[in-house]
Amino acid sequence: MTDETIPEVAGAVPERLADRDDIIICEGVKKWFGDFQALRGISATIKEKEVVVVLGPSGSGKSTWIRCLNRLEVHQEGTIVVDGVELTNDTRNIEKIRSEVGMVFQQFNLFPHLTVIDNVTLAQLWVRKRPREEANEVAMALLDRVGIPEQAAKYPGQLSGGQQQRVAIARALAMDPKIMLFDEPTSALDPEMIKEVLDVMKELARSGMTMMVITHEMGFAREVADRIMFMEAGEIVEVGTPEHFFTNPTEDRTKLFLSQIL
Amino acid sequence: MAVSDVGGEFGSRAEAGLLALRAEPEPEITVSPFERPPERPPKGPWRWAKDNLFSSVFNTILTVVTAVVVVAVLRGLTAFIFAPERQWRSVGVNLRLYMTQAYPQEQYVRVWVVFGIMVALGGLSFAFWRAGGPMPVRRITGFVMGMAGFGALVVLVGPFVAVPTKLVWLAVAGAFFAAAAVVHSSEWSRRTEVSSMRVWFTVLVLLILAVWLVPFGHHSFVDGAVQPSEPGTVAMSTKVPLTVMAVVLVAAYWVGVALRDRVPANAVKGTLALAWLLSVPFNLFVILRDPDWDYGRVLSVWLPLFALFAIGGGVLCWFATNPSHAEGGRLLGGLILVAGGLSYLLTYLGLLPGMLQVVRLSILLLGVFVLGGPTFGGAARARRRYVAAWMLFIGLLYYFVAAINSPSTVRVNTELFLGGLSITILVAASTMIISFPIGVLLALGRTSKMPIFRVMCTTYIEIVRGVPLITILFFFSVMLDLFLPRGMSIAEIMAVTLGYSLFSAAYLAENVRGGLQAVRRGQYEASEALGMTAVQTSAFIVLPQALRAVIPALVGQMIAVFKETSLLAIVGVFDFLFIANKVVGTQSEFLGARRENLLFVSFVYWIFTFSMSRASLRLEKKLGVGER
Repeated sequence: MTDETIPEVAGAVPERLADRDDIIICEGVKKWFGDFQALRGISATIKEKEVVVVLGPSGSGKSTWIRCLNRLEVHQEGTIVVDGVELTNDTRNIEKIRSEVGMVFQQFNLFPHLTVIDNVTLAQLWVRKRPREEANEVAMALLDRVGIPEQAAKYPGQLSGGQQQRVAIARALAMDPKIMLFDEPTSALDPEMIKEVLDVMKELARSGMTMMVITHEMGFAREVADRIMFMEAGEIVEVGTPEHFFTNPTEDRTKLFLSQIL
Repeated sequence: MAVSDVGGEFGSRAEAGLLALRAEPEPEITVSPFERPPERPPKGPWRWAKDNLFSSVFNTILTVVTAVVVVAVLRGLTAFIFAPERQWRSVGVNLRLYMTQAYPQEQYVRVWVVFGIMVALGGLSFAFWRAGGPMPVRRITGFVMGMAGFGALVVLVGPFVAVPTKLVWLAVAGAFFAAAAVVHSSEWSRRTEVSSMRVWFTVLVLLILAVWLVPFGHHSFVDGAVQPSEPGTVAMSTKVPLTVMAVVLVAAYWVGVALRDRVPANAVKGTLALAWLLSVPFNLFVILRDPDWDYGRVLSVWLPLFALFAIGGGVLCWFATNPSHAEGGRLLGGLILVAGGLSYLLTYLGLLPGMLQVVRLSILLLGVFVLGGPTFGGAARARRRYVAAWMLFIGLLYYFVAAINSPSTVRVNTELFLGGLSITILVAASTMIISFPIGVLLALGRTSKMPIFRVMCTTYIEIVRGVPLITILFFFSVMLDLFLPRGMSIAEIMAVTLGYSLFSAAYLAENVRGGLQAVRRGQYEASEALGMTAVQTSAFIVLPQALRAVIPALVGQMIAVFKETSLLAIVGVFDFLFIANKVVGTQSEFLGARRENLLFVSFVYWIFTFSMSRASLRLEKKLGVGER
């Protein structure tokens, strides 16, 4: 598939999002790991306050793409513009973008040597340069929002996986990001803990956050997503609203994927 | 710890929701099953021996052979120690030599002041870091029983005393054992715990009492000659300071305990850590020299220079730490760094003849501080702290430079007048403190993404590790002066310490690198995804984890550094071992007493290294809290 092929299907962008500003614009993004081409020309735009769920089999480049959006991975061709700033090798741009884009990882990646509250305040102190009192207030408010204010003084190792992931969400939210990226946030969790994390994410979506979520939770995708993007082999195969995507997919590969997963 | 805490999760929302879904919520478990294991009936000693020592034929043979070897070694050792021809007096007589070598006796108060400072800091630190903890009485009684048993064994196998004397000592050991056993088996000891700090302080008080009461004899070594031994307890000039030190330690501890709940603990801990760092150069100065200030020069040169850099630099740091000037701050820092480098270059070319070395150094340091401003600045309080740190730093720099450039009032015979255990500790402590930051920077450089840093650091590490320590010591003691700017020279002991630090830093860097590799990729990513800069990521996320992962290796290296100070003897430093081997060992009145002195020295080395390894174990446990 080539750069200019942007799969436009019925209901690709829901009407209520039509007059919103684009916050992420990707054009022909390509990336190689050695000889292996992980991204084969991704072109997509994401609107403000939109919730996009990215689906696809493993190895399809979902994580690579989302990690390119805050430059944890460097793309080699194409352009990515986030919040009006193009991602280049300029360190200042990268740091600016990263402080505007929150990220939640599959493996939580909490800082194990810091208490929960210190995990949430650290970047506020040193990146946002907030005074400690204010940072603590923000942190406690966020821990309250994700439902674990009583764990503030504990270390991440003393929490369950679901609690850790909620701390990770609070840590990202503490930077007041404009966009939140979720890289398989529930894949490392025991089944009974998935719900508590998804609940937090649903609440976040309702509050109007721009979100990009890689997940295998089809229920979540159906309920929360404004749009669903289906990726395979490093390219976006199909884009559409949840009802279109789940009830009436056009591409054969999408149908195959859905038949395997549902 | 982590396991028992999992039980406390029932408060969280989702768990509560799950519980509510069930028709009949299960009764909440109040006591986690992990907290109190079911008590097993205690095993008798015979049963224990059968299970552990004689469980199989092979095990039995092993036990018997080991026992024979242990008894033989013990017998040989005790025969050596207690043989009548041993001249243990040679150790007692030469204790002062061992401690300070030729340090002028009328200046001993300096050494005691330094010791007092460290003891006071130690007492406060024990209190604020909550050293020690509850110690079960049974552990103490068990220890006493073990020691009594060991003593009895020594008396039994030792070939050194007559049978009646043996019986008396056996009776003493038996009495101790019995007393401890009675307490040990009582219900009271099972339930009771005492503060371990109290136990240690009690031991300390007993030791001090022993100094006052037990007639160790009264030896002194004055002007190269041993004064005849007098009966009675040790000299007043030893007893009194030792007692004062003990009082200072205990008093500092209790002051710390009284204060620790009333003052912000983190601020005090930070201050204490800083005080420890500053105590090293300060102590060096108290011991080595007492500057005879030339007040004309202080007023005309040092104070104005200090004021210029402190105020001017403070303003620049204030500017650079303002978050809205981030780029300007970095640019300014870079410009100042370039100016500092240029000042060195121009001096080298002879174009800035009158410029003081310290001024050039200050410009470079100011550049580094301004460059770091945007990274560590922020809110008004952080900015004030940063400026204060700069002013403190530059103040210390000028104090020490001014002090070095003033004649000393401590009169000494030669340059290397300090020796013995003092110089060993001084060199070891300085080396540890200097090499640590250098080693960490080298490790970071070696793992850096920037090729120039990587190549430079790797080259440095590989070259230094490929050269024997002795070569480096020779190099720094003999040849360093050739490489210094004209007119500048540093004391040989400082040069050697510097060389030793640079050597140790290379090894330390490799240890730290191991720790850096143990930090998972996700930690970097999470930190970077939050917008933290590379420096912030290293300082707050990566290094704390990396260092904690390699504490055992680092402590192992610190122990090696401490022991290998004995190589300094090769460049003419009278270190602790050298005094035993070459000074005391050749005194005419103690000819042939070298073995006693070597044993004594090894025992002292062991006490130090053993304490270090125990402290590291405690540190590991403490820092491991909350981690899996």
